[in-house]
Amino acid sequence: MSIRHSILALLRREPMHGYQLRAAFEASTGGTWPLNIGQIYTTLGRLERDGFVRPLPETESGQRPYLLTTAGESELVAWFDTPVERAGRPRDEMAIKLALALTTPKVDIPAVIQRQRTATMRVLQEYTRVKPAAECPEELPWLLVLDALLFQAEAEIRWLDHCEARLARHPVQHPAPPSGSTAPAPATVASVKRS
Amino acid sequence: MTLLDLIDVHRTHGAGETAVHALRGVCLAVDPGELVAVMGPSGSGKSTLLNLAGGLDSPTSGQVVVEGQVLAGLPRRRLAALRRRRIGYVFQNLNLLPSLTAVENVALPLELDGVGVRGARRLALASLDTVGLTDQAARFPDELSGGQQQRVAIARALVGDRRLVLTDEPTGALDSETGEAVLRVLRTRIDAGAGGILVTHEARHAAWADRVVFLRDGAVVDASGPLPTADQLLGAS
Ligand SMILES: Nc1ncnc2c1ncn2[C@@H]1O[C@H](COP(=O)(O)OP(=O)(O)OP(=O)(O)O)[C@@H](O)[C@H]1O
Ligand SMILES: [Mg+2]
Repeated sequence: MSIRHSILALLRREPMHGYQLRAAFEASTGGTWPLNIGQIYTTLGRLERDGFVRPLPETESGQRPYLLTTAGESELVAWFDTPVERAGRPRDEMAIKLALALTTPKVDIPAVIQRQRTATMRVLQEYTRVKPAAECPEELPWLLVLDALLFQAEAEIRWLDHCEARLARHPVQHPAPPSGSTAPAPATVASVKRS
Repeated sequence: MTLLDLIDVHRTHGAGETAVHALRGVCLAVDPGELVAVMGPSGSGKSTLLNLAGGLDSPTSGQVVVEGQVLAGLPRRRLAALRRRRIGYVFQNLNLLPSLTAVENVALPLELDGVGVRGARRLALASLDTVGLTDQAARFPDELSGGQQQRVAIARALVGDRRLVLTDEPTGALDSETGEAVLRVLRTRIDAGAGGILVTHEARHAAWADRVVFLRDGAVVDASGPLPTADQLLGAS
């Protein structure tokens, strides 16, 4: 998440000080990604160094608002004009877990998939539960954030469904254990009937 | 009272070598105010389960109980009346009558049940309105888009005061926004005291349910229980 660009975007509305920026950010994103005030002031310091924002005189309450500069404006425009990169995302722990499950003996793969599916399903239910009943304009930014979380969780479930179906077609056979002992049942996903 | 109770339900098609065990010992209860989603791969028995719950098919063994009445014990006429009055059904293939307009399709179950033509029409228009199809009421199914036909089928399932709403992929042909709008309509009805089953492949839609049941090869393999409270949400993200 780009705190830098979020701050530039908020400052385009009007000059704001740190606490105002934090409140405005959380109002737009429904508090999904809480920012601490230290992060905001550190980022403002860097933005000032880069010439993207300029401090204004302190207010009576001792808060210093910041103003978006022309250079900051261009930086913001460039941000909106550039697609966000998919590469360099944090490692997907579930994908790694499943890949390793295929090559690790004595892992109940269908159970691993089902547990994840149930857990993610529950998260989806929770997100859906807090969807505002009516769609008023003030709720719209937060609703879009919530939709992003919903679609990401759904994508994971679809991927799990897909893995399950793929594994049903290619049952995993772990290497046989040393001779003498009886081989454990191969870890297969219950076969999926086709209609 | 539990609206729907499936008790150790089995359904086998055919016999011997070629027998298909569509359902193997499914137990499922739906209470008033509860929406249960059923998910599972193609062929896992979702439509079979819904057909049994709606009295359109009978179990090979086990019991289906709707509002305290064991369906297998009901005379045909009583069963038919129960289906018309109490159960709303959205079929996977919609089953709209091509020779009737949208509003006539929606009014049909009421008219079959003895409601006067004008009263039935008024309720049908109200139901079409909840799915955003007021303007299309006079069109025939073949003059409607796939998603609009789907919404007519939903309006028909919800018309009047049906208590048990059984829906088989009701959002299949809808874009995500329209699908969500339809689920809100369904959810509102459930929250007003109906009970329902929502069969869907889409997890995002299943998330509107109170519980999600996963079927595999005719058996329930897992179920996400009812949620505690909503305020844990942000902690979970
Ligand atoms: N009348 C029938 N005769 C024989 N087999 C049947 C009959 N109806 C359904 N089946 C079989 O029963 C199983 C369950 O079918 P069902 O229609 O319930 O699946 P489903 O979960 O609804 O699938 P989909 O997601 O494709 O709609 C399938 O293997 C199907 O082929
Ligand atoms: Mg089906």
